[in-house]
Amino acid sequence: MNRLREMATPSGALLSVFLVIAGIALASGGDSYAIRLATLAGIQALLALGYQMVFGHAGALSLAQGALFGLGAYVAALVALSAGGGAWATLSLPAAMIAPALLAAVVGAVVLRLETHYFALATLALAQLIHLGAVNWESVSGGANGLSGIPTLSLIGADVARGWPMLLVTWGLVVLIALDTAWRRAGLRGAAQDLARDHPLAASSIGLDVARLRYVEFVAGAALAGLAGGLQAHVVGVVSPDGADIAVMIGCLTAVVVGGRTRVSGAILGAILLVHLPEWFRWLENRQLIAYGLATLLMVVLAPEGLVSLIDRALRWIWPRRRAPAPRPATQSAARRARIGAPAVQAWHLSKSYGGVRAVDDVSLRFAPRDTLAVIGPNGSGKTTLLNLLTAVARPDSGTVTLGGLSVERASADAVARAGLARSFQTADLPGALTILDAVAVGAHRQPDEAARDVAWRALRRLGLDAVAATPVGALPAGQRRLVEIARALATQPWLLALDEPAAGLSPAERATLADALARLAADGLGIIVVEHDLDFLARFCARGICLDRGRVIAAAPFAALRRDPAVLAAYVGDRA
Amino acid sequence: MRAALHIEALTVGHGGAPVLRDVSLTVEPGHVMALLGANGAGKTSLLRAVMGLVRGDGRIHLGDREIGGLSPERRARAGLGYVPEGRRVFAGLTVRENIEVAAAGGAASRGRRIEEMFALFPALAEKSAERAWRLSGGQQQMLAIARALAMRPPVLLLDEPSLGLAPIIAREVFGRLRAIADDGVAVLLAEQNAARALMIADEALVLARGGVAHRGPAAGLTPEAVADLLVAG
Amino acid sequence: MMATVDTPHLLLSALALGAAYALVAVGFVLTLNAAGAVNFAHGDSVMLGGVAAVLLGVAAQAAGWRVPGVVLLPLVILLGAALGLAIGAAGFLPLKDRPPSAVFVATIAIASIFEQSATAFFGPAPRSAPPVWREGTAQPLAMIAVAALVLGAVYVVLERTQLGRRFRALAQDREMARALGIPATPLIAAAFAAGGGLAGLAGALLGHQFFVVANQGPGYMLKAYIAVVIGGWGSVPGALAGALLIALFETFVAASLSAVWAQALLFIAVLLVLLLRPQGLFGEPAGRRA
Repeated sequence: MNRLREMATPSGALLSVFLVIAGIALASGGDSYAIRLATLAGIQALLALGYQMVFGHAGALSLAQGALFGLGAYVAALVALSAGGGAWATLSLPAAMIAPALLAAVVGAVVLRLETHYFALATLALAQLIHLGAVNWESVSGGANGLSGIPTLSLIGADVARGWPMLLVTWGLVVLIALDTAWRRAGLRGAAQDLARDHPLAASSIGLDVARLRYVEFVAGAALAGLAGGLQAHVVGVVSPDGADIAVMIGCLTAVVVGGRTRVSGAILGAILLVHLPEWFRWLENRQLIAYGLATLLMVVLAPEGLVSLIDRALRWIWPRRRAPAPRPATQSAARRARIGAPAVQAWHLSKSYGGVRAVDDVSLRFAPRDTLAVIGPNGSGKTTLLNLLTAVARPDSGTVTLGGLSVERASADAVARAGLARSFQTADLPGALTILDAVAVGAHRQPDEAARDVAWRALRRLGLDAVAATPVGALPAGQRRLVEIARALATQPWLLALDEPAAGLSPAERATLADALARLAADGLGIIVVEHDLDFLARFCARGICLDRGRVIAAAPFAALRRDPAVLAAYVGDRA
Repeated sequence: MRAALHIEALTVGHGGAPVLRDVSLTVEPGHVMALLGANGAGKTSLLRAVMGLVRGDGRIHLGDREIGGLSPERRARAGLGYVPEGRRVFAGLTVRENIEVAAAGGAASRGRRIEEMFALFPALAEKSAERAWRLSGGQQQMLAIARALAMRPPVLLLDEPSLGLAPIIAREVFGRLRAIADDGVAVLLAEQNAARALMIADEALVLARGGVAHRGPAAGLTPEAVADLLVAG
Repeated sequence: MMATVDTPHLLLSALALGAAYALVAVGFVLTLNAAGAVNFAHGDSVMLGGVAAVLLGVAAQAAGWRVPGVVLLPLVILLGAALGLAIGAAGFLPLKDRPPSAVFVATIAIASIFEQSATAFFGPAPRSAPPVWREGTAQPLAMIAVAALVLGAVYVVLERTQLGRRFRALAQDREMARALGIPATPLIAAAFAAGGGLAGLAGALLGHQFFVVANQGPGYMLKAYIAVVIGGWGSVPGALAGALLIALFETFVAASLSAVWAQALLFIAVLLVLLLRPQGLFGEPAGRRA
């Protein structure tokens, strides 16, 4: 129910767009040309929705989407032609989806790891290969002439004629995919996905498998490209290498950039504009394609969020939206997780070098639930590197780390987070548009939204942030954003918590509040390891401490004794050498 | 080339959160001011804000000239020499090129600058044609200082020049710094190793908890006193 | 048997092609180094250089001047430089603080503006640019000579002048360069101009033997991109070597198998390089730049 309410905005816009299409088709007296254009717009919308998954939601700038569309068109054409009206013809669309998805699954497994510019090149090379195949593998693709005489779409024996039936099937699919996307993106799941795209490190620290999310979107986007291509083959009746051309890719990129990278209604609006604008600007003749490029350029520079966001903002300005209702306090009955058998972190002889410098040198330590362990030391002594090794953000050169039964040095950061060790970073990476409550609730993304918000509410109250739960993160002073990030780590309901300079940027009063909150959490059974330079802050809640200098543990003692240890003093201010 | 650096009421943010509030200081020509503090106390942020690499609110004067609103490259040309944390020499350029790239003027005056720097750091003269990435840490540190001095700046900002250096090399670098100051340069030296910095400093400023915890002549300050300010509670 | 007979001739064509590719790739990598961003409109600058050469040749003939193509080249380089500046001003400067994909998308848009403008105003049919000196074997020789001259000049500027040193410093550590008083924006603009000029020149050189077609931009773009990847991202000598390698590969595979196989194998090869050796074939720059 709640999820449906959250979908109200995108699906509302979606509905209006759908009506616009029907309106356009009807207004022109249902003439077959108008219907055909509206159908092509729907096909573009499917292609754009698929590209949004790749470029928008996963943040991967693929240049293969156009070629995958072409591949889908060829596969659908080949299946339909060889079935010759038989029962197999039904398989044309499924095959058109499966072929590009399979290709994307194989290629994506390796190229998604690459950085943006390499990924773009790899997908461009893939696209060129598909296009080369289309032009030159004449026995299959028909070469430069392509394939013609492709029959209409056949669904379980029933022919879907060109014209109204095909228009309805196409837009029915658009609505289906759009609703499904809106459903998958509604509420906290979409927020978690955005976090994975914008701040992959932070996302993995709360247990999101970023690589898997990207992979799934890439393959799903390819399947949609294939579906769109298959429909195109049935609507147009011919396929040619032009369908796998770079121009298709640029059109699809234009639709998504102009409409909006992540908004479902943006993909649809962009696709409609892409197909219909040239009709409205016929006087431009063959120069309308120049206008596409100009439009994309202008949108990237002036309104990178796309038209739909502009419209949204304009509407919000005319009709200000009601304030979101304040979140209600959590139900107290929510069961606390049992702490029995909670894992401890045990590190043996960890070493890690960067460029010949030993950042961490033979460090062994153990901390368990209820422990409070401070890590101090001068600049460059390896404190953050140590946290990175403990949380699988970096791999040790030698040594082992275990977390319960998990070998951390071989695990991924998200697996460590899921095993109960959460962490914060020096830079609080939070999405500015969410409310504080939701930004924290993303940490509990494995639970339904309602339950996740309950968890978030409790975490915020522990840190004294419940009063501001309904305000957007962006409105918060940066110091307090650190607290929100810690609350998000708590929302993963960890047994152990690793904090990197949590007090930086906080006022003295906020530091005291945070220290007391951490002390209470530890008393309740949470194990905390904290890197921090404000020793007064640490003294309020840390029982033990270690001091690092040039990667080595130079002192380990109860905290009060540690800060008076001569070796520690020497490390901080230098010996008189 | 003599001019003092005045900083008045400088507040430095780090992604919006003030790391340092309301810092004021003056470094006179010929003086070394040690900027002391634990890591995270904001030494690097202060120097970066003076250089214009991060946002800082407040007034920064170089001699009589207000430079607070200028871009980093204009501040550099106005007379700030900057030696960053981690040295950051141009690895693919030769030693000579690293110095020349920062020097102003025609080929002849650049050549004179290079010779001056080689006279100041003879170890660099021997490596003149080597690519900078082949130098040892201490040599890279000297190169970073020589590069900053190639513009003959009246003010030199240094960020943790002894980090990662063997003690004997660090002593040598610090000896050069004292000589540079004695030539009339105002030196602002951010350093975690208080003992070492205090040996060459005229004044000291201790940063702790987001602000100035102590200021005064270096002569009156012992490393133990700094340690008390930084570590013990 | 045929191959042995043709080898010297093939080698000459491969070197001429490689010389032109080298201009494209070096122009691409110069912009890449200064701006830290991929200029996807670079391939279409090559195409427009070819268009300019064709149109200038026609105009010269119409005016009754009987001049060899080489006279037109400085003008083509200037036009290319202006084009490069325009790309920098519209596609990079407004976006320099945004994620790299923004510049990517903007320059893709500019590329499509260039291509569609060429289609609309120049026509989609292939046309031939005037030869540098005269037809026949003189053309590949002239291509190699012109490219060698210009690349030599680029080398001298980069290695022997203060401008070149500042440019290399900026490429290695932009923030540090600025903190030493090296002005970033004018140097970036200069790099876009240089990249555009080299692209334009390459287009004019390629335009005689390989014709000028409005939609050939992405192909050149891809070649430059591949040359830079196999040469090591950001390395100027690597880009040059990569370009020569691609040209040799293309020419000899095309001669022994077919032109289509040459293209296909090139793309497969680049995918393999990306997967197995992302630092490039020639080695160390990734580590050296750290």
